[in-house]
Amino acid sequence: MTLLRRARRNKQLVAGTILAAMVIVLGIVGPWIFGAYDKQNLLAGHKPLGTPGNFFGTDALGRDLAARATYGIRISLFVAISVTALAVVLGMGIGLVAGYVKGRVDSAISLVVDFVWGFPLILVAVLAAASIGSGLLPVILAVGLVNTVAIARVVRGEVLGLSEKDFVVAAHAGGYSTSHILFRHIIPNVMPVAFVLSSYYVAVAIIAEASLSFVGLGAQPPTPSLGQMVSDGRNFLRLNHWESTIPGILIFAMVLSVSLIGDGLRDLLDPRLRTAVERASAK
Amino acid sequence: MKAVLRRTLTMLLLLMVSSFAVFAAIRLSGGDVTAARLPASASAEDRALFRQQVGLDKPIINQYFTYLGKLATGDLGNSLTNNARLSTLATEKIRNSLILGGSSMVVIFALGIPLGMIAAMRRNSWLDTGITSVSVAGMAIPNFWLALISIYVFSTLLGWLPSAGQGGIRYLILPTLVLSAEGIALTVRMTRSAMLENLGQDFVRTLRAAGVSERRIHLKHVLRSSLMPLISLAGLRVGQIAGYALVVETIFGWAGVGQALVNAVLRRDYPVVQLFSLLLVALVTLGNLMATVGYTLANPRLRKYS
Repeated sequence: MTLLRRARRNKQLVAGTILAAMVIVLGIVGPWIFGAYDKQNLLAGHKPLGTPGNFFGTDALGRDLAARATYGIRISLFVAISVTALAVVLGMGIGLVAGYVKGRVDSAISLVVDFVWGFPLILVAVLAAASIGSGLLPVILAVGLVNTVAIARVVRGEVLGLSEKDFVVAAHAGGYSTSHILFRHIIPNVMPVAFVLSSYYVAVAIIAEASLSFVGLGAQPPTPSLGQMVSDGRNFLRLNHWESTIPGILIFAMVLSVSLIGDGLRDLLDPRLRTAVERASAK
Repeated sequence: MKAVLRRTLTMLLLLMVSSFAVFAAIRLSGGDVTAARLPASASAEDRALFRQQVGLDKPIINQYFTYLGKLATGDLGNSLTNNARLSTLATEKIRNSLILGGSSMVVIFALGIPLGMIAAMRRNSWLDTGITSVSVAGMAIPNFWLALISIYVFSTLLGWLPSAGQGGIRYLILPTLVLSAEGIALTVRMTRSAMLENLGQDFVRTLRAAGVSERRIHLKHVLRSSLMPLISLAGLRVGQIAGYALVVETIFGWAGVGQALVNAVLRRDYPVVQLFSLLLVALVTLGNLMATVGYTLANPRLRKYS
């Protein structure tokens, strides 16, 4: 069966892709439909669900909730995608070098990697915010650093394992150049893992950005971040819980879609796991 | 054994480096440390005097060595905001955090493993689909949002449980469940897939051929070989809990290390940030070390990579 046909039959992948597409479309057209996210109307204040002109209601400053939430999707996606692109490229590179060159280079890289690995992501972000001030930049730097290291660790392990496989040893013996071995034999075999990991780390990035903005260390007002909206609405739950619920559902939908895609990709691209599962269920 | 010793030494070295990294990082932003301690009307001279008294006017590297010297004599220093002795402050916060973190660890494994087993043993049934779906959802729900919803439902609307603070076991329920939600979901998935993978192994076929009952195969043989790698990775959950404790403790007003750390960062209380960051880093590094050692013990094939 071709990869594409197998992909279409993979329920998780299909569901995840549809959900992701819906959220992305909402992020693109939302601000365009619902208008400016920072248009205040202090006299109006809170408005409930179903208000004409502001269907999903407004926050304490009279700003349209739907406009803010859909703009917040853009912020989340921007952070998640930029951080993950950075982490995959750097993490793959570092992991490849450490796993393939081995020896002292590997020891040095592993030392730095272990150093960063000792810091919980949220702590790194909190310290980054403490040192360069709150905002999206410290969030991007912190999540980027931790995710780079996470990917580098796994890629290093994979490359170490691969470099002892017969086909790689044979390629060495056959006198092929290092770049040939890396690009033809090692990298193609690391790619599936990198793919699956990157979808998982998109989810991590979205949650981290939202959590930090919730605590007040992420995106700063008036930039609408979903985490910050949840936090703004927490004191008005009885009045209009949608101010917290809408951004919460959006974060949940984004993370869920990415995890479904990741699970689907894993089943699709990691044949070892698939055969094991299939063998087990074909009892 | 030699590898474990080497890793332990590396860990101590890394902790030293971490202590300096934290020390320097929080001093980089010239935020005003005097704002939290002195009244708003304090003059510039008063503020300068305060900085001088606590030694913040010296170069960072000098401050760091003074700090190390004090640490060596067992003096953890005092909080900049209320001058409380950190050794006294830390004992209480650590105890609270250990209660919350410890009960979350117990809940993660006590709920995660049995649920994962049930899902694997009844795979493709409605029960499996239900457990698997809830665990996928559980990993996608941001825990601050889960915290907010559970407070709204269980304390604001239903009035069953207190929304924040310390007290009896009733105060522990909501924060524990929120802090362990992601870990439970992860453990369910890992248990399920490990059991399914082992069910496809040759030894299961042999056991079946030998006429061993399906129940015995699941509960004795497959479970045992699935649990070893799972439990050996328990150390990684420590890191996860330590990180999320910052957010969850803050929301539930749980007076632990995480809440104290977030407050100290916001108030630029350097000694508190240093101490509690290092505590968390030491805990997580220890957890990672335990995971590596445990996993290598459970999978002898991996030993050459450690």
